[in-house]
Amino acid sequence: MIVENTQTQMRKGILEYCILSIIAKGETYASDIIAELKKAQLLVVEGTLYPLLTRLKNNGLLTYNWVESVSGPPRKYYVLSEEGKLVLEQLDKTWQELVYAVQTAIGDRK
Amino acid sequence: MNKTIIININGIVFHIEEDAYDILKLYMTDVKRHFSTSADSLEITTDIENRIAEMFNEILANQNKQVIVETDVKLVIEQMGTVEDFEFAENDDRAAGNSTYTYNTERRRLFRDPDDHLVSGVAAGIANYFDIPAVWIRLAFAISFAFAGSGFILYVILWIVIPKAISRADRMAMKGEKQDLKGFKKNFEEEMGMVKENLSNFRQEARPFVYKARDFTGDFFSHLGTFLKGAGGLFVKLLCIVILLTCFSAAIALIVVLIAFLAFGKTDIFHIFPFNIVNYDTNLIFLTGGFLLLAIPLITIILLTIGFLFKNATFNRSIGTTLLCIWLASLGAVVYYGARATANFRYGARLSKTINIKPTTNNTYYLQLNDAKYLTNEDSTRLRIKERFNGMIILDDDFNGNDMDSPDNVHIDVEKSDVAQPVLIESFSARGRNDEDALTNARNVTYRFLQKDSVLKFDRNLERLDNTKWRGQELHMTLKVPLNAKLVIDGKLDRNMNFNLYDCLQNNTPRNPAGSVFVMTMTDGLQCKIDTVAAALKPDSSKTKQPADTTQNKDQ
Repeated sequence: MIVENTQTQMRKGILEYCILSIIAKGETYASDIIAELKKAQLLVVEGTLYPLLTRLKNNGLLTYNWVESVSGPPRKYYVLSEEGKLVLEQLDKTWQELVYAVQTAIGDRK
Repeated sequence: MNKTIIININGIVFHIEEDAYDILKLYMTDVKRHFSTSADSLEITTDIENRIAEMFNEILANQNKQVIVETDVKLVIEQMGTVEDFEFAENDDRAAGNSTYTYNTERRRLFRDPDDHLVSGVAAGIANYFDIPAVWIRLAFAISFAFAGSGFILYVILWIVIPKAISRADRMAMKGEKQDLKGFKKNFEEEMGMVKENLSNFRQEARPFVYKARDFTGDFFSHLGTFLKGAGGLFVKLLCIVILLTCFSAAIALIVVLIAFLAFGKTDIFHIFPFNIVNYDTNLIFLTGGFLLLAIPLITIILLTIGFLFKNATFNRSIGTTLLCIWLASLGAVVYYGARATANFRYGARLSKTINIKPTTNNTYYLQLNDAKYLTNEDSTRLRIKERFNGMIILDDDFNGNDMDSPDNVHIDVEKSDVAQPVLIESFSARGRNDEDALTNARNVTYRFLQKDSVLKFDRNLERLDNTKWRGQELHMTLKVPLNAKLVIDGKLDRNMNFNLYDCLQNNTPRNPAGSVFVMTMTDGLQCKIDTVAAALKPDSSKTKQPADTTQNKDQ
């Protein structure tokens, strides 16, 4: 249980960073994000993504455009806002620090 | 061949099989409920619906078919994730305390239960909500019908307000079950279980009556326990509070009464009926005993109720035993002294005395109240009458408290005398613990009757001599007057006369200021005398009177 919790915490911590990184590549549709996250084994089900996207959007990090779709309802394509880009830069920096910290911490073990 | 339903997801139309639709609907209800506490609930669910619609479209296009089936829905749900998955992902959000998704799928919702209903399923629905047997709710409703039909009105309102559980999702929400596929499965299993249970119930029906009665008793108490724990708990708590408030106000009233009695002290209260039956010390025992007799049950109820309400044992065995002992002791004291006091009333005695009245020339007598206050020697000394009130008369009016000394104890009656000499027969009666005591009690009283020419003056009350307790002392006087004697009776004597003075006073206009006028007649005894001159002067007033009113019969 404790192990599970820690894993979830770790994943949760980087999930938003990953989502922002994926969206930073260009206009992205939710299922594209899902596909990438699944490939990275960060997320299993799609349903959990929508609340996250909505929250990031409400925090002003994301905006979206409606795009007509041939196979169903119009799709929301997400892009980073200016603020989102700034936040992502900060997160990049933090991530580098984290990588360094973790590598230093576990480096002797190997 | 399967029945299909046409559904519309955000503007896109799908054909879907009924089974698949049920699962999808259940899932969407679940999802909506899960996000219902979130501010972005609509946006999130719309996103999810749109995505589902898109996935359906992809499936239909890929497999080149037209109808969504159960496996498709399951596939989509698997991809989208169940509410349990959402919860798992949000776990640490909740731990951090910044989550708005606090919805608990196990929370029950109030629905009318269409599967278990007598009338409309209100009672069963409430029972489901509180997770207790429906029979208790039904019983509560049945009882409340008796209170001016208030329960009926409540029932109808609930019937209107509470929605009926229509879908399976509703029914599961009603019973607080998780609303995903697992819950659905559980629901199904429960239904199967119920069928089995019904079968075994059928077997039980066939069992002998004795077993059934025994089972019923067991069931009754186990259900009662559940009832008290569940919805009954609230009701019982309310009841407890009502009992507490009642007991507290009763206790306060009791204490106020006791303090009032004690504060009045030795002199002021204990000559008032019924405290004048026994002496001061016995009165104290009575008061204390009576107070404890009433107070101890109150204290017990209060302690027990508080103990029950707050689940702490304020009322243990030793307190209980002590209280019981005190209560029994006070009961014993009250009964013992009560019996002793009653013994003082066992025998009765009566003595009679005849007083001659000087006849008057015009055969008219004025009966008046002697309102000079009767003072004992002690009173005279205490009040220093000779020094301070010399030459004055202390009046005895209605409001000086003397009236409370004893129940009305002086009664005056008027009869016809066969001889010309009018007489007053005074008959004293009293009770006592034996004949001698009763006689002494009847004699140890004073009553003043005075005649001053044609005026006969009566005291209002019989006065007991000092140290004589109230033993039902009474004085019955019979005034015997000759034929055609005219009696003018003062209205102040109304309480003492055995017949009505007021009606007679009313019949004469103008009223005689001296009082009601009566005449002793040959055959009918004492009759109200109508002043014919006054009646003739006011014909309309006499006309309005009923004939029966114009002559007042003597009240025998």
